[in-house]
Amino acid sequence: MREEMETVSEKTEKTGTASAPILEIRNLQKAFDRVAVLRDISFSINPGNVVTVIGPSGSGKSTLLRCASFLETANDGDILYDGEYALKGGVYASKKELGRFRTLFGMVFQNFNLFPHYSVMKNICEPTVLRGVSKEEARDRAVSLLKKMGLEGKENAYPCQLSGGQQQRVAIARALALKPEILFFDEPTSALDPELTGEVLKVIRQLAEDRMTMVVVTHEMSFAHAVSHRVIFMDGGYIMEEGSPEQIFQDPQQERTKKFLSNYKQ
Amino acid sequence: MSLLTMILKMSEGLGKTCAIFFLTLLFSLPLGMLVALLRMSKNKIVSSVVRFVITVLRGTPLMLQLLAVTYGPYYLFGANVSRNKLIPVVIAFSINYAAYFAEIYRGGIESIPAGQYEAAEVLGYSRFQTFVRIVLPQVIKRILPSVTNEVVTLVKDTSMAFTVSYQEMFTIGKQIANSQTSFVPFIVAGVFYYVFNFVVDRVMGGIEKRLNYYK
Repeated sequence: MREEMETVSEKTEKTGTASAPILEIRNLQKAFDRVAVLRDISFSINPGNVVTVIGPSGSGKSTLLRCASFLETANDGDILYDGEYALKGGVYASKKELGRFRTLFGMVFQNFNLFPHYSVMKNICEPTVLRGVSKEEARDRAVSLLKKMGLEGKENAYPCQLSGGQQQRVAIARALALKPEILFFDEPTSALDPELTGEVLKVIRQLAEDRMTMVVVTHEMSFAHAVSHRVIFMDGGYIMEEGSPEQIFQDPQQERTKKFLSNYKQ
Repeated sequence: MSLLTMILKMSEGLGKTCAIFFLTLLFSLPLGMLVALLRMSKNKIVSSVVRFVITVLRGTPLMLQLLAVTYGPYYLFGANVSRNKLIPVVIAFSINYAAYFAEIYRGGIESIPAGQYEAAEVLGYSRFQTFVRIVLPQVIKRILPSVTNEVVTLVKDTSMAFTVSYQEMFTIGKQIANSQTSFVPFIVAGVFYYVFNFVVDRVMGGIEKRLNYYK
């Protein structure tokens, strides 16, 4: 089924307007102890697309991803996966339903969150096996994903023996082993030394070329420019501006966007 | 009485000392986990009650608890004091140590970063799978030094069983000391406890080393 999806998305244009959105968020609101973090967020992403979310710290970017992945409970709004409601008007679907939606997405965290007591191999294989995939199949997936991530020979290493960049690539492999329809990245390079960000961004870029559907929260502007189909600029819990990378980076319309990007260039 | 006779007589009580030690660990280690989980319960009533019980168990002498469990049933209900004192002794020790282990477990569980739970949740682990496969192994590694501390203390605390005249090694030693007006049995007891704890230290150190394969 996955292979079918890939061939379909290969045929779609870069903007991917031909197919229905895999994820759609409408009027999402989230407050922590009455402090509004997401005020009114609406956006959608089609299969094969890459959306990057940029904006200053505290603008709600990470909270947006955490709501989309059910790690935070939204207060109001809709979340739809494949046109089905996971959240409707602030009311969540049943636990069982949410479990099913959870199989559709993967998440890559800022701090990798690998399981330190598991080898690289077990980190990748165990979640896959727990979903009912055979051990052999899980192993095969892990081996080929590690190869893709440039981590051959690291199967038996433990996370503490790897660099941050390598750990993050293992985390990406772990998420991909479950064959998600959409992958969320929450500032995947923010915890890395500058010299290690490149190897992680390269892998994400490669995934984009393979037409993986991704939402990437990032502070890497040139990466966002190069890899995205659409860029979302968030500030103060709102989406201030949304458009093609060319539009956002070369001709931003909003004052806030201009100011944010000019701060970045300094 | 020669030194050798003293040592042999006291050795007869070592089996009972070991019985208290191993049975207490057997019961208090899992019981402590149950208490820790109840202590962290989201139900405010449950967590407050458990919290109160822990303060009582940690805030009153173990010796008092031993007496209460052993003779309490007699004073309260007129029940016969059980002839096999091992049962009340192990009950008192297990409950007391469970309270200490519970707080060690709680500290360990709360020290696991939220990101571990979040990663597991997104990867589709159930709450039970997350606890057993992801959290618990990491907790065990983190709390091992504190647990070793308690285990070492337990070895020495077994001597408190003399307050209810349970015939373990120290009780016998005290009886010999009284009848012979000699201090030697106490020295023998000290050496016994030291050797016991030397072994405990080696065993726990070995386990710690085995868990050192990751940081």
